Amino acid sequence: MKDLMRIKCLISQDIETLLNQQIKKEAHSSSLYLSMASWCNQNGYDFSADYFTKQSEEERMHQLKLFKYVLDMGGNAISPEVTGIKTDFAGFREVFEDALEAEIAITQSFKNLAAKCHKEQDFVTMEFLNWFLKEQREEEYKARRALELFEVIGEEGMGRWEIDKHVNKISYSEE
Amino acid sequence: MEKACIDINELVNVFSNVHGSIYQSDKLNCFYVDFGGKFAKYNCLSLQKLKKVVEQIDIEELLLNTHRADFELVTFNGCEHIYLLNALEIVALKDLLQGTFTMFKLNHLISDCLYRLVV
Ligand SMILES: [Fe+2]
Ligand SMILES: [Fe+2]
Repeated sequence: MKDLMRIKCLISQDIETLLNQQIKKEAHSSSLYLSMASWCNQNGYDFSADYFTKQSEEERMHQLKLFKYVLDMGGNAISPEVTGIKTDFAGFREVFEDALEAEIAITQSFKNLAAKCHKEQDFVTMEFLNWFLKEQREEEYKARRALELFEVIGEEGMGRWEIDKHVNKISYSEE
Repeated sequence: MEKACIDINELVNVFSNVHGSIYQSDKLNCFYVDFGGKFAKYNCLSLQKLKKVVEQIDIEELLLNTHRADFELVTFNGCEHIYLLNALEIVALKDLLQGTFTMFKLNHLISDCLYRLVV
């Protein structure tokens, strides 16, 4: 008997399902960052608004990268429905706390995906995921650094204004 | 048509339960679902879709909700077939499809060992 499903598609149904869930998560991140950009803009934090807008674009790029992979492997990529995006934040600091929390959740999600790949010995998808695992280093680093500005600079007086100016300058290099 | 088709296309029985069978045609790269008095042809994608649709039916709701019919229409866009099934039949079809996909997995493992990893 021919292995018809395998002929059609390189990845297993389970991996395909997890990848589609990840596509949805990236879409959610993208919307969340846009929501944060909106809040920051309306509250006068222009640099942070730019920072989150850029992050939103990056998440969209992540979504499309996963989307293409699923299709390239012969799978069914599902355009996700994104709902329940938080639009109101208690304060400037909460925005950054939420951002870090969201990135931690994404890292965890990729770890689960990687664990599944190892279990199935799907080294092809594993190799593809490596890019994202590396990316999460940078994503978490930047979110953590941003939050640390609140400790280093402090929120009193011109604190928030100063923090806002520094957010856009956070960058990550491996060396 | 049914038995004739099985002979002509040398169908392989992938999985059966008391309510039906699913066959694979290596010649035509397709599947036949013998269920509910129908002998219906599917390709890889549409068989996966059928499984998804059947798995998404809320059987509990079907049984408990008295404000709706006791059966469910099973079909999807682009599917040439429609099934009108009660709860028991849905369970049977679900079992048939899940058994079939388990056999696909098994067949995949066997193909790997017998043909793809031969040294
Ligand atoms: Fe991402
Ligand atoms: Fe991210």
